[in-house]
Amino acid sequence: MPVAPEREVEVFRIRYLTLVVSGLAALLLQTVLPVVIPIAGLMDFPLVITVYFTLIRQNKIFGIALGTGLGLMQDALSHGYLGLFGMSKAVVGYLAAAAAMRFNFETLFARCVVTGALVIIHDLCMAGLQHALLDSPPPFLPLERASAVLFNVALALILFPLLDRFR
Amino acid sequence: MTFDPNSPETAAPAQAVARDGPNVQAFIAHHRAAFILAAVLVAQLLLLSLQITRNHDVRLIRVWAVAAVDPFQRSLRGITEVSVGAWRTYRGLLHAQQENQELRIQLASAQSQLQQLSEQAAESGRLRTMLEFKNQLPFQTVAAEVIASSPGENSNAIFIDKGLDAGLASDLAVITPEGIIGKTIAVFSRSAQVLLLTDPSSGVGVMLEKTRVQGVLKGDRQSLCLIRYIMNDVPISPGEAVLSSGLDQIFPKGLRVGTVVEASVGNIYKNVEVKPAADLSRLETVLVVLKPNSNEQQASNTRP
Repeated sequence: MPVAPEREVEVFRIRYLTLVVSGLAALLLQTVLPVVIPIAGLMDFPLVITVYFTLIRQNKIFGIALGTGLGLMQDALSHGYLGLFGMSKAVVGYLAAAAAMRFNFETLFARCVVTGALVIIHDLCMAGLQHALLDSPPPFLPLERASAVLFNVALALILFPLLDRFR
Repeated sequence: MTFDPNSPETAAPAQAVARDGPNVQAFIAHHRAAFILAAVLVAQLLLLSLQITRNHDVRLIRVWAVAAVDPFQRSLRGITEVSVGAWRTYRGLLHAQQENQELRIQLASAQSQLQQLSEQAAESGRLRTMLEFKNQLPFQTVAAEVIASSPGENSNAIFIDKGLDAGLASDLAVITPEGIIGKTIAVFSRSAQVLLLTDPSSGVGVMLEKTRVQGVLKGDRQSLCLIRYIMNDVPISPGEAVLSSGLDQIFPKGLRVGTVVEASVGNIYKNVEVKPAADLSRLETVLVVLKPNSNEQQASNTRP
């Protein structure tokens, strides 16, 4: 992952239709797929979508807005409290944009690495918020979370080339 | 997306900022995304706090509000209590200081009054004793106050406030209820000088109470006196009382003079040390024994 602070920033324009459809599809898959395939519950489609579009757009405010929007919708569709996913994904969007402005993520490998790192950060944010705010926070299972990182990286390996076709 | 203060886009705001003084706006513009992230997080945190409940369904925002305000309330209450306490302590100290000053004045006054009363009581007792002693005596006496002592280390004498006007004359016995103290040697119109027993030039005819052996009491410049002319074979024991013999024609017979302190064998006569019965260093009121002729003369003078 080469450092290129003085590189020419290559910012891609995003088709908003692609963004909206991808977001809605991610939310839909996040709610439906675990019912059919339980292990798919380890995957976080909105998170991967947030990371992808923020890396492409390279805009912190965009990353915050996208992460917050998808996270809040994910909260709304779940039975949890409104704001847990929203806050975590807002942080992920901000960090993804900051990283994209500083490093070159043109290669798929670099994107997968940053995706894995951001999944870990997302998990840490969630766990931290739950432990700080909830009376009885869910237990933190390191093995499960490690599996989630791998699954989400694998998801990124599949989704990122697919989404690249629409930019 | 990085902030460059030299770029054309930021030149105008930079000039405005320069006019404004502190570079706050440039800082905000540079970290705009971070501020937005913070605002978004705070907003969602508030949203969460409205949903989450703790401790018997108390909403988290209320818990946080109380937790946020409580330290200030406690601090304010602590500051108030400390301030009120300090003010009360200050006022109490002021009051205590004034009260202390008043009490000190009252104490000084009370001590002075007590000392005066004590002095008066002591004087009253002394005078009562003196009056009783005077009434018991079979001869005429005149009471006198000691007003001074004679200057000089070799002089054991005092001055009393009675003199010729009171019928005093030279060689009159001066006594107290405790015992004899000396004799008048110089008499003035309103005062007289009294030679004490302890003066070396003093001489008093004395006798021992038990053996009735007689001698002459002489002064020794110290607080003790010596009895001369008592033979070595006369048994004398310490503690034996010494009385006036009356042979000197000055001191009436039988008055207490002192107590034998020590008696040792000398060349011919015994060396007998006597401690005067009266405390010669603390004389205040004394009685001067008038001679019979003086008494008659005084009586004739007082008759119209």
